Amino acid sequence: MLRTGRLLGTIAFALWQTVAHAQMHHQHASEAACDEPALRCASKVTPTFAPDGTLWLAWMAGGQVSVASSKDGGQTLSPPVAVTKERLNLDWGPDSRPKIVVDREGRISVAFSIFRDKAFNGQVLYARSIDGGKSFAELKPITASNESQRFEALALDSDGSLFAAWLDKRNRVPAQQDGRKYEGAGLFFASSRDGGATYSESRMAKDNTCECCRLGVAFAGPGRPVVVFRNIFEGSIRDHAVVTFSDLSTPGEIRRVSQDEWQIAACPHHGPSLSVSTAGTYHVTWYTNGKNRKGLFYARSTNAGTTFSEPLPIGRSDRSPSRPFVIAGAHELAMVWKEFDGEKTAVNLMTSPDDGVTWSAPKTVSDTPDTSDHPLLVSDGRRTYLSWMTKAGGYRFQSIENEP
Amino acid sequence: MKRQLLASLLFIIVALSASSSDAQEEMKPFGRGSWQEILRAHAGRPTIVHFWGVTCGPCKVELPLLGQFVKEHAAIDVVTISADLVPNLPAAARSMLEKAGLGSAENWIFDDGFVERLRFEIDPAWQGEIPRTVLISRNGDTTTIEGSAEMTDIQKWFDQQSGMARKP
Repeated sequence: MLRTGRLLGTIAFALWQTVAHAQMHHQHASEAACDEPALRCASKVTPTFAPDGTLWLAWMAGGQVSVASSKDGGQTLSPPVAVTKERLNLDWGPDSRPKIVVDREGRISVAFSIFRDKAFNGQVLYARSIDGGKSFAELKPITASNESQRFEALALDSDGSLFAAWLDKRNRVPAQQDGRKYEGAGLFFASSRDGGATYSESRMAKDNTCECCRLGVAFAGPGRPVVVFRNIFEGSIRDHAVVTFSDLSTPGEIRRVSQDEWQIAACPHHGPSLSVSTAGTYHVTWYTNGKNRKGLFYARSTNAGTTFSEPLPIGRSDRSPSRPFVIAGAHELAMVWKEFDGEKTAVNLMTSPDDGVTWSAPKTVSDTPDTSDHPLLVSDGRRTYLSWMTKAGGYRFQSIENEP
Repeated sequence: MKRQLLASLLFIIVALSASSSDAQEEMKPFGRGSWQEILRAHAGRPTIVHFWGVTCGPCKVELPLLGQFVKEHAAIDVVTISADLVPNLPAAARSMLEKAGLGSAENWIFDDGFVERLRFEIDPAWQGEIPRTVLISRNGDTTTIEGSAEMTDIQKWFDQQSGMARKP
């Protein structure tokens, strides 16, 4: 009898989970065109180029994370391979997406966040493939901590090491137990020197950063990752900052990107983007709604993030400019962002031939009449491409400059 | 005994689906045109419109304060709109509203995957950060409070509205 009861209890729990999951899924499924793991059903797609020039995509669709590759610049894709073995409660916030890097040995590392409970506590998981993307190892948490983590970033160092950073709530409970107010989340990091099989113990670069915005990560040189993030400065000011590491485990000083003076106790879910050019210039784009400026902005630093140029406004303020992304390509610097005119979302592009000193006039390179992912730029070392998932038109991958 | 257990199981399933569908019915779906519908419905009446979300930390703190304010000012129109950037269940939103004393307010939830368009109809400059409170005066003027609102500010606005009403 006890066994029957336990069995029924298990069935009830499983049914409850299914009902709850289906309901939760229904609520955000309308962001995607369909509800299967296929690319056409994806709400988020992340591209990367392998050192051999193969394009790899990682996407989330139908509660799963999958990857596929293309040898012809995105025209045809290999059959998708699931990174996840089952449908998961993937973090479906606007600044969340799977991350993917491929090293010189063809090892593929993927990281992403899930909601692991009904209170929306997050967990960063990672997996890797050592057989060229035919299969992925079991998912593992990036840290042993059970406190909420989200907004991971993953970047490949020139020696093949992996650098991961994320936002982590582990300091909240001890602070509250001590009767201290705790704002935001800690910027944590770890690295992998075995091709993404294991990650080092996590450490904190900065506590009390804004808890709900994507991070931007790039390398200032071998072994020197740079992270840009929405910090919380004195007085609950949520302005951007950069930290440059002297090696994969040693964060440097926190430097402010701009004095926007956005004092707000809210979750913008609208994080920055960072690229470092071969000249060593830091390029940062971000969104603010501060006292001093509102909208999208760009600034550059020629002294390793110590100081930044006067912020340059981006986009038309009457068209809700959003989701800026910058990349230093082989020949020029490029920046894309979204604008919305009341009916259509357009991706606009500006380029700079002189490392961000001057910029071209904006031009629209793609548009869509329904919801869409953030526009992303990716370079194969020769050309820069726009990667954009749209609900109405599917996945788009297009060159934004002519081959030299 | 087995029958009893089966009955309990069925009850749990029915209760779960019933509670979720009730919640969905009670939360009005906010779609294209809903913002204008709200403005029309409350025209000429001071109205507090509060945008919030289940996953928004500051919202969890503010919502009960707003609930208390509403309890003390029964005459005022209050509209809540769940505009979570991490869209979630009507049931979860409903539960938080009830706990905050806002269960009987006019409660909406974003119900369109194209949230950029919904936000653009409300305010083209709004990128979705919540909490956000829009105070609509009797003559249609709006005051937007970004982030957590101080109830003392809402009280001041309400006093002004009451003063305007008393003027001939």
